[in-house]
Amino acid sequence: MLSYHQKSFLIVDDFSDFRSSVRSMLRELGVKDVDTADTGEQALKMCAQKSYDFILQDFHLGDGKKNGQQVLEDLMMEKLISHEAVFVMVTAETSQAMVLSALEHEPDAYLTKPFNRSGLAQRLERLEQRKTLLKPILQALDRGKPVEVLNACIALCKQDIRYSPLCLRYRADALRDMNQNEALERLYDSIIADRPLPWAFAGLGKLLFKRGQVSQAKGVYEKALKVFPMMPALYDGMADVLVAEGDTKGAQQVLEEAIRLSPLAVRRQALLGKLAMANEDFETASRAYRQAVNQGAQSRFKDPESNLGLAHALISKGSERGLDTRTRLEINTTLSAVAKENPTDPGLQIRARLMKATSLLLNDAETAEKLTEQALMRLDGMEQFMSPEAALLVAKQLQMLGQAEAGTSMLKSCAEIYGDDPTVMKDIAKLTDDPTILSSSNAAADLNRQGVRVYKTGNLVEAREVFRKALKMQPKNISIALNMAQSLLHGTDTNVPSAELEECRACLKLVGMMPDTDARYPRYQKLKSKAFGE
Amino acid sequence: MNQDEQALDFSTVIASTVHDMKNSLAMLMQAHSQWLARLPEAQRQGPEQGVIDFEFAHLNGMLVQLLGLYKLGVNQMPLQPAYHELDDFIEAQLAAHQEVFASRGIIATYEVDPLSPLGFFDRELIASVLGNCINNAIRYARESLLITVSDEAGQLVLSINDDGDGYPAEMLERQSDYVQGINHSSGSTGLGLYFAGRIAALHQRNGVGGRTEIRNGGPLGGGVFSIYLP
Repeated sequence: MLSYHQKSFLIVDDFSDFRSSVRSMLRELGVKDVDTADTGEQALKMCAQKSYDFILQDFHLGDGKKNGQQVLEDLMMEKLISHEAVFVMVTAETSQAMVLSALEHEPDAYLTKPFNRSGLAQRLERLEQRKTLLKPILQALDRGKPVEVLNACIALCKQDIRYSPLCLRYRADALRDMNQNEALERLYDSIIADRPLPWAFAGLGKLLFKRGQVSQAKGVYEKALKVFPMMPALYDGMADVLVAEGDTKGAQQVLEEAIRLSPLAVRRQALLGKLAMANEDFETASRAYRQAVNQGAQSRFKDPESNLGLAHALISKGSERGLDTRTRLEINTTLSAVAKENPTDPGLQIRARLMKATSLLLNDAETAEKLTEQALMRLDGMEQFMSPEAALLVAKQLQMLGQAEAGTSMLKSCAEIYGDDPTVMKDIAKLTDDPTILSSSNAAADLNRQGVRVYKTGNLVEAREVFRKALKMQPKNISIALNMAQSLLHGTDTNVPSAELEECRACLKLVGMMPDTDARYPRYQKLKSKAFGE
Repeated sequence: MNQDEQALDFSTVIASTVHDMKNSLAMLMQAHSQWLARLPEAQRQGPEQGVIDFEFAHLNGMLVQLLGLYKLGVNQMPLQPAYHELDDFIEAQLAAHQEVFASRGIIATYEVDPLSPLGFFDRELIASVLGNCINNAIRYARESLLITVSDEAGQLVLSINDDGDGYPAEMLERQSDYVQGINHSSGSTGLGLYFAGRIAALHQRNGVGGRTEIRNGGPLGGGVFSIYLP
């Protein structure tokens, strides 16, 4: 018989009665090493100090506290527990909102209160057995080696083919991490043909979407939603598809559906806020952003963008006579939090001030002016690039606040950084008619395209020359700078100092100011680690 | 339309009340077991203890079932199928009733076909069906209860056997009425069959839905409840 008696346990529950009751059950079962925690925060601290073999985590730890799912997310993302450890979510009932919010990081088991000693013993015994069976796979996961995960799965299935269904998800995740897209697609197809598993549908949809097969992805989600109309993750995927197709109204509807099913999801609420803003549905936007802010307070997905979004939605909802006191108070609270919690981020400091100034424009012009001045001072000399959405909103607000000149310079820098993206240029055109801004990127963008063509023919010298010319026109343009850097790295030995390496490092340093939310950020990081040998 | 809304409102009221009752019951059971643990060994056992354990489990099972029926009614019953190890699953259901078995002197066993150790179903939903059936079987069983798991033409069959008197003939004849919810007159067993039938039907594969069946006989000669999952 396998034994969990020698293992270490952590019980996390806000009720001391429950903690002591489970502790005594474990004692009676012969377990000696038992610790307890009454909040998620404390549990995380304890897990950072000691690696527990079993964690019995209560889901609901009180309002305004981290819930069990958030604790699990934090533990996984910060690698505070091994994959070999057993995480059991203890629940008062199998509440839907909770179970459904957990497609990404699932606990090893759910245990519903009340349970007795034999029930607990049985679960622990079985979970220990399962972990032992899967040990080679779990150890490979801890090492972060997908190839080894795959090999361990193959070995286990060879040893006992009956357990192959248990390996499916590990295999799929490993193939995904290895970017083995064809093999992954075949695996998903075969799983779905046999048994419709919700995560397989979600994975296949995501894969197709990533590869740009948007309409195929849509087909998968449509089929999946017929079988699993209660799975929010599938609605999320469908919303991505609709956004890509330009149907933001449809995407909003789909996300609202997902939120009805599972309201506890910070990122989903934030995305709904963004879509509703794009659709000018300010009522829905403010509601969704408010949820994202409130739920995010205890979550690792806390994001100042939601606070700014909430303020923006509330301002947009306001009437021509200005905002009522309650709304102003809410805006003030949510923006103060941004300024207070991000003291070293100049972009957020500027945006929070301008947002607040905009909200006060009608009711308190004097304070609005003071805030605008503060923002302008910080804006001057800011090196960091804002995302195009943020930069354009800043430009618009500067215009509204009577700072036309600062607004124009914001638009100019936005056109320089993002000018090769036609959708950004379209949005810039909504804020200005100035032909010098609107046509400023044409020449550089043409040269950039030409450079890419030449690069593909393999003529490195000429490609670099063309990119160099383009970059001279727009030194901060992210696409051009990355292309320049890549063409310089191509065929260059990064271990030997050279003019090419110097030049490459310089242009990467400049665009290193890009926001990490940019789609090109991973590419930048790859180039950077090559150029700087990190 | 108006009438429907009123009906739904009332069922929502009932559902939230049941929800509260279930939480209350959980606290009660927990407090009771802690209190029990402090008593001297000799006072822990006794016929009253058996009654308390059984009725606790019975109440809990009925409340879970009521909530389940409510969710079915408003179409909120989510199916979360996955592969589960069957011996683990059955053991867990039996372990939850351990005290009742002990106090009633019932020996509960299970048999899982070693060739199909995994089943594909929604763990919580099937567990609630099984919980109700075990509870029901405890009431009628004399001294033994057997859960068997087998494979019939690709379908997973879970059967709960007891050695009691079996189901009344009238119930066997009209079981499809119960499953369809036509016969409302018969109290908790009828509702249980309805609930089990609906949950079985939610499990589908290639257009084939799951189903339930009751009969008499089986290896223990009493009532047999079977749930078929494709």
